[in-house]
Amino acid sequence: MGLKRNVSLAKALRYKGQGPMLTYVLHRIGGLGMAIFVTIHILSTFMGTKVGIFTNSIYENWVFQIFLFFFVLFHVINGLRITLLDLFPTLIEHQREAIWVEWAVFLPVYGLAAFVILRTGLGG
Amino acid sequence: MQVTLKVFRYNPEVDKKGHYETYALDVEETERILDLLELVKGHHDGTLSFRRSCAHGVCGSDAIRINGRNMLACKTLVRDVGDRITVEPLLGLKIVKDLIVDMEPFFDNYKKVLPYFINESPLPADGKERLQSPEQRARFDETTKCILCAACTTSCPSFWGSDDYLGPAALVTAHRFIFDSRDEAASERLKIVGETSGLARCHTAYNCTMACPRDIQITKAIGELKLATLTGKVD
Repeated sequence: MGLKRNVSLAKALRYKGQGPMLTYVLHRIGGLGMAIFVTIHILSTFMGTKVGIFTNSIYENWVFQIFLFFFVLFHVINGLRITLLDLFPTLIEHQREAIWVEWAVFLPVYGLAAFVILRTGLGG
Repeated sequence: MQVTLKVFRYNPEVDKKGHYETYALDVEETERILDLLELVKGHHDGTLSFRRSCAHGVCGSDAIRINGRNMLACKTLVRDVGDRITVEPLLGLKIVKDLIVDMEPFFDNYKKVLPYFINESPLPADGKERLQSPEQRARFDETTKCILCAACTTSCPSFWGSDDYLGPAALVTAHRFIFDSRDEAASERLKIVGETSGLARCHTAYNCTMACPRDIQITKAIGELKLATLTGKVD
């Protein structure tokens, strides 16, 4: 049964919430992606050697790892921002600045990790 | 200046689903989106339906989506949104006709937080006012500004994704009474907003604060409520 609200994903994503909305969407994608990743990872160990080797070949692929690390790291840093703002509501007035700080922390850390993954992946 | 106004149209008696109609208008850049809608209704198509009342940002009846964001049509100038303007009804509420949505579910949620002053204690000895210090009044001043336009609630992803989430406007109203030193039903309201359909569904997307035409720090108010449900303190 569908929701009474009747807001499709396409309509929701078209709402122009700017920076905070972007972090919200990335956080959801990251959370969902990690849940699927961990579930498949656990289940594949019970599904025989062939399935295990196949899933491992995906996990060990550097392209997959670059995407995975993006969402894991973003989920962690964004989650930290939300937790801090929830614990100290007076800081919420500086939400915009908090998001800039979040990106300022995320981008160099992710850039470094992506560089290492890329170099390892292409270097063999 | 010439503007192109693209308006969402839906007449339940004729249309199976909504569509857009475009109007080329010659307007001043200082005119409001509400003026453009009036222009279309008066000179192009009298069947266009939208809500308006005070037209000065106080009644909150003309909240719509303008270029993809919730705003009040009477407070948004053409120069703020450019010469290609798209107006659509608020998200998450059933469309009655064109830009008019059914506000009943919104007000049903509003009523759930007991949006009225509760104090069963006898009046002060002089039978006059229940006095409050300026500091006590300042504690909830921000949330008294709400005009119930629904711009915040219908911009909230949690509201779009849940049929029973109270939504930011109801939580703002709860904040207004919970932190009022004269009110005696704070614990009752904290219990209501502390249920799963309340504060727990706020994921700090911040759309509400950005959509509020009264510049209320809604996410902050919700944050204060979250803390109050944890600590039980409403000072």
